[in-house]
Amino acid sequence: MLTTPRSYPKSWVEWTAIVIAAIIVLTAVFGGLLAPHDPLVIDFRAKLLPPSGTHWMGTDGAGRDVLSRLLTGAQLTLLSTLSVIAVVLVIGCTIGIFSAFVGGWVDNLLMRLADIWLGFPPLILALGFAAAMGASLQAAIWALVFSWWPTYARLSRMITKDILSAKYIAAADTLGVPAWRKVVLYVLPNAFDVLIIQVTLDIAAVMLAISGLSFIGVGAQIPTPEWGAMIADGRDYVRNGWWIVIFPGLAIFFTALSFNIIGDMLRRELDPTSQRRA
Amino acid sequence: MMTAPAPEMTTETDPAMTPLLDLSDVTIALRQNDRKMVTGVSLSVMPREVFGIVGESGSGKTLFTRTVFGLHEDTYLAGGTVRFNGRALPLNGYRRAIKKMLGKEIGYIPQDPYSSLNPSMRVGRQLTEALYLSKGYPMRSQKAQDAAVALLAEVGIPEPELAFRQYPDQFSGGMRQRIVIAIALSQDPELMIADEPTTALDAFTQRRIMDLILERSRTRGLAVLLISHNLELLRQSVDRLGVLYGGQLLNVAATADIGAREIHPYTQALFDCVPGRDKRLADIASIPGEPVGAGFGTTGCAFAGRCAFAQDICRSAPLVTNTDRGTGFSACVLGKGARHG
Amino acid sequence: MAEQPVIELLELTKSFSSGAFVQNRSFALGPVSITVNSGEVVGILGESGSGKSTVANVIMRLTGFDEGSYHFRGADVRAFTKADSFAFKSKVQIIFQDPYGSLNPRATVGASIREALILHKRHLSRAQMDARVRELLAEVGLGSEDPGRYPHEFSGGQRQRIAIARALAVEPEVLVCDEPLSSLDVSIQAQVLELFKSLIEHRNLTMVFISHDLNVSRLLCDRVYVMHKGKVVEKGIAQEVLTNPQHDYTRQLLEAVY
Repeated sequence: MLTTPRSYPKSWVEWTAIVIAAIIVLTAVFGGLLAPHDPLVIDFRAKLLPPSGTHWMGTDGAGRDVLSRLLTGAQLTLLSTLSVIAVVLVIGCTIGIFSAFVGGWVDNLLMRLADIWLGFPPLILALGFAAAMGASLQAAIWALVFSWWPTYARLSRMITKDILSAKYIAAADTLGVPAWRKVVLYVLPNAFDVLIIQVTLDIAAVMLAISGLSFIGVGAQIPTPEWGAMIADGRDYVRNGWWIVIFPGLAIFFTALSFNIIGDMLRRELDPTSQRRA
Repeated sequence: MMTAPAPEMTTETDPAMTPLLDLSDVTIALRQNDRKMVTGVSLSVMPREVFGIVGESGSGKTLFTRTVFGLHEDTYLAGGTVRFNGRALPLNGYRRAIKKMLGKEIGYIPQDPYSSLNPSMRVGRQLTEALYLSKGYPMRSQKAQDAAVALLAEVGIPEPELAFRQYPDQFSGGMRQRIVIAIALSQDPELMIADEPTTALDAFTQRRIMDLILERSRTRGLAVLLISHNLELLRQSVDRLGVLYGGQLLNVAATADIGAREIHPYTQALFDCVPGRDKRLADIASIPGEPVGAGFGTTGCAFAGRCAFAQDICRSAPLVTNTDRGTGFSACVLGKGARHG
Repeated sequence: MAEQPVIELLELTKSFSSGAFVQNRSFALGPVSITVNSGEVVGILGESGSGKSTVANVIMRLTGFDEGSYHFRGADVRAFTKADSFAFKSKVQIIFQDPYGSLNPRATVGASIREALILHKRHLSRAQMDARVRELLAEVGLGSEDPGRYPHEFSGGQRQRIAIARALAVEPEVLVCDEPLSSLDVSIQAQVLELFKSLIEHRNLTMVFISHDLNVSRLLCDRVYVMHKGKVVEKGIAQEVLTNPQHDYTRQLLEAVY
């Protein structure tokens, strides 16, 4: 029998993605400490300085150090991304697993609800939240939480349905395993792979969405050093201060790309179909 | 005492007779890492002979069949010679060469009748297409249609004219397998490969399809290479049997010999495992341990680890190959099951 | 007191709403009457679609039925309380056909077997449970295997043994085997067959053996029921039915099998 190797050789692209992701995570943790300048201090004498020995990535239109803002912003961007993911993961999976277990009309109702919900574009929701709460990073986060949970509800419901039809669940039924125990010991461990892949891919998507919302002005506001907001702030200076836009742009680009590549890599390595018999 | 069955068998080595398919020291390796999965297989299938290949899952029988007949992408012929009608096929570009013969000299019946027919094409069209490809009959001609209907009738499809206009999903698994056989026969092959042709079917259909394959090949004078994991099915269907284990060809035996005289210890042990029609519980003896997978290599006998007779030499002696390709062959270094005279 | 049957299905029927079960289009079970006495090995034989797996599911109470009755040791299962139902699960266990799907891939084999003990042998301490797991693995011929390993590290035959150990953990009275050998290689099939043989001898198990393999059934079963299109067409002593069948269907089936 051909055995599928559990670990595939990784390409240099994937190794690069892993290294970049690690750097970004470390930056998010220690970014504030590494920042050479205060990211919020305005110094009009030092505005629009190109990259140099003192300001490696130059300064923005208000004289703030771009590198310091980028490093501090990493924490902010990643933290808001992860909180969105964590919340939608918990809400979505609770609804999805509950729906799959109960089945019948409850299942139908919840899933139709999720479908309808998916129809709302996050942008419209964000505008609504911005109008209600005032444009802020919090408003963007709430908007994303509200628009993102149905994805996880649908996904976790599908996985759970699949797991519940497996023979080992029938075996558990013949032993009289109670439902909560089935969720904890049978469903969650078996759903883990698919969920972790989705989470990794969504990190990139949510991060882009937050930055996007900040860029169009319904998310984080200047002077908050959020990457999308930084680009929005810098677009007026593109002609004589390209560094204000380029560096946060590259940061978003590489972060999103690395998490996407890692997600695809995990999908390949953890794909449940590759663990079954050939 | 065992002289009776020999005369009427076409398989008796006749020096004047060229084998239809002759494999010499065939080695099959994985493209990915060049690992040799099937090693040193030598056997020949005579014209009109029904030859079986038996092996447990992982024995390499599927790799072997699919690679030799050019149906496997991930493996290649790494050594040895394949001759068809005395003509050797090149080792370089082997796959292309053998694929040209598939659908002409060689017909192929795959395992799964559900996925081997195009679901969106009428049965008749699939047959006339096969006839066009092999014989050049124009697809819409009356000649092609008549030939197709005749083929459907030949494989026992009731109302062949109606079936001609139907789609595959209007047929049961057994009927689909008949259509597949009709397509294979449409090309007037000399050799028919049946790769586990009945595993997906129930007992009745299995028996009927096997009977059809055997009866058609006998009438048309085809040779058949039948691959199966079911020793009992092969024992009742084929003239001779090749036994694969761990990617090694351990035994070639006339089926009449199985259960009647000494054969290779693995074939014997396999036969003792099968709960056949006339056996009692006490007759069943399992083989201890787990089967080894294909790719065992050429040092030692792959079965030595489970064999009741195994000695040190069994683990170290180089693999015995079937060089002279007589009627029978045993790779056992202890000489068990070797056919004398 | 006359010996009471362990399992008694009387004129039992079940129909499937069309559409819900694609494989069982317009399929209806029964009426079937099947009795299983204590200590017997009863074969329920038939082709796929004959209804034999539905019978297994009804016996296991994994599915309900429409008409007729099902008595377990004289008690009507439809009148079971919640506690009765739970107790029932420690008395009847099943072994499925597919050893690859019947074990939780994310639980160690030790944990899978212990699951049965945790639910039905609560009085055992953690250490006693671990010891019991090892005993059970030894009983099914896996004494030298590490219970901390995961199912994918075992072969098909070994997994089937693990599934048997899990089923035995609750000390069941009845073991239902739904095609337990048919996805195994012949050499492994014979090993598991020998294991069944020794379990029947040593444990005094009552066994319901669901199978399409007439040859295996003749070797293992005391009595058999032959099913066709949801009905029992022939029943009797295994040796007699499977060597000298009276019903046409059984005769044809016997002629067809290799």
